[in-house]
Amino acid sequence: MKRLIILTKAMLLLHLRNRTTLFWNLAFPVFLLVIYSAVFGNNQVGEQNYMTWVVPGVLVFNVLSFGILGSSALMVQMRESGVLRRLHASPVPAIELVGSYLCVNVLIGVLQCALILGFAALFFDMAITPVNMLRASPAIITGILTCVALGQVISGVAPTAGVAVAVGQLVNFSQMFITDLVMPLGAMPDWIQTAAPYLPAYAIVQLVRTPLLSGSFGPDWGANILVVAVYTLLAGVAAARLFRWQSKV
Amino acid sequence: MHNTSIKIDRVSAVYGRGANQVQALHQVSLAIEYGEIFGLLGPNGAGKTTLLSCLEGLVRPVGGQIWLDGIDVLQEPAAAKNRLGIQLQRTALLDNLTAMELVEVYAALYQVYLTRSQIGDLLERFGLSEQRKSLVQQLSGGQAQRLALALAIANDPYIVLLDEPTAGLDPHARRAVWGMVRQLHTDGRTILITTHAMEEAEALCGRVAIIDRGQVIACDTPAHLVASLGAHPMLKTSLELPLDQVDSLPGVVSSRYSGQYLEIESSQPQDTLACLHNLATSQGRTIGDVTLRQPNLEDVFLKLTGRPLSV
Repeated sequence: MKRLIILTKAMLLLHLRNRTTLFWNLAFPVFLLVIYSAVFGNNQVGEQNYMTWVVPGVLVFNVLSFGILGSSALMVQMRESGVLRRLHASPVPAIELVGSYLCVNVLIGVLQCALILGFAALFFDMAITPVNMLRASPAIITGILTCVALGQVISGVAPTAGVAVAVGQLVNFSQMFITDLVMPLGAMPDWIQTAAPYLPAYAIVQLVRTPLLSGSFGPDWGANILVVAVYTLLAGVAAARLFRWQSKV
Repeated sequence: MHNTSIKIDRVSAVYGRGANQVQALHQVSLAIEYGEIFGLLGPNGAGKTTLLSCLEGLVRPVGGQIWLDGIDVLQEPAAAKNRLGIQLQRTALLDNLTAMELVEVYAALYQVYLTRSQIGDLLERFGLSEQRKSLVQQLSGGQAQRLALALAIANDPYIVLLDEPTAGLDPHARRAVWGMVRQLHTDGRTILITTHAMEEAEALCGRVAIIDRGQVIACDTPAHLVASLGAHPMLKTSLELPLDQVDSLPGVVSSRYSGQYLEIESSQPQDTLACLHNLATSQGRTIGDVTLRQPNLEDVFLKLTGRPLSV
């Protein structure tokens, strides 16, 4: 247990001391909220103010970015630099390293979400009750794990950190606008409205947004949980199979 | 096997598959005693790092067996890894951690939990007291290499594997690292070191295995390996003289031109030099430059393989 704590602390420090990661993980989502407020602040989505509606979307977009971009790029960097090779030469079981890596990712993800929600509560008068927060939390944490697993699939196939970032950007930004994160799905063409419910970001944002804003789980929560579970399981198995300790020679 | 710290028995390893398969090691056998500094000397690509990778459990041999401190590496990899201290060739340090944090982490990998004072003592031993709170990315090449050595013994291992520990260092930093490797040896550890620098092998190692194209082609003390050549000291000068006149000088075993230099192998170099001076003077010439070189491991490698070591 002590080894796990020391490893987790070290990986957390690596994340927090990386200025690029810090900007994209902590500063960028706040910046995004400010931009949306300036451009769409007076709009409505159904009966809700746009800013109230978009905060869970920005939160899930950030979880997606972190898992698919930040987490996977860090893993590829550690592989390229030989850090993973060095860890493999030590007697630490792989399961412990994976556990430590997931702990750090969940911690960073939760920190990001707290920052976004805190900022929204302070500057956009968003009301977040403890009960609503409690009901949305399992979906947030599961969403982080789903996105980290997806990111690790990318890190498993990407030969370099640059390729991992490029593929991650493609996956990330393609989902940003078509999965009800920052643009209402109702404004999208029919074929996107049909396809979106099968994408992980859509399912995660429904599981976060509805309880966070209304306290209920919403009508499609069962289907959304199924989508998230399938993605997490498939991505988790694929990530484990594709994992490499060192770059291909 | 009682006194054997590292036992390698007919180990073979390959990289790639099918038509792209490369034989990296072929039937390598070595026995290294407790407390030895043992060198693996060979050119780049000879198989030194692959052999170390097999010991570290990073590459699985396709044949043969390896025991570390009596433990079968293939049967009990975790127990074998616990016996090892490792400094990898591409120093895989976590750049955004401080030296102290890094020592704590690397020791913890082996379930060794050091106090701040123990970490401080270890860093002081490697001349890194002032850098203990510096991020690894702020360290110079020599400091990072010394930190890599400190990390290699952070878990207090029986056996230390050092993969080209002075690669890329200037002569001053290289000598500092040599001093530290000797210090590790005085602690009674077995040290296996790879290098392609013959002066490093001669300076540090009690015994050396010369490895080429995945095979051990010689193994002995540096002095015995050099003596086995039966070679004599070599005089080298830019003086131009007919070779038949040079060959008639006392002590001369052989002579040849290598580029613009005249190389003379001599069993009595002082007499040869004196007569060479007289010969040059009689022809109205002067000897501008002369160097005398003792035979070394480079010559051993050249004789065994027909190729120079440092290419």
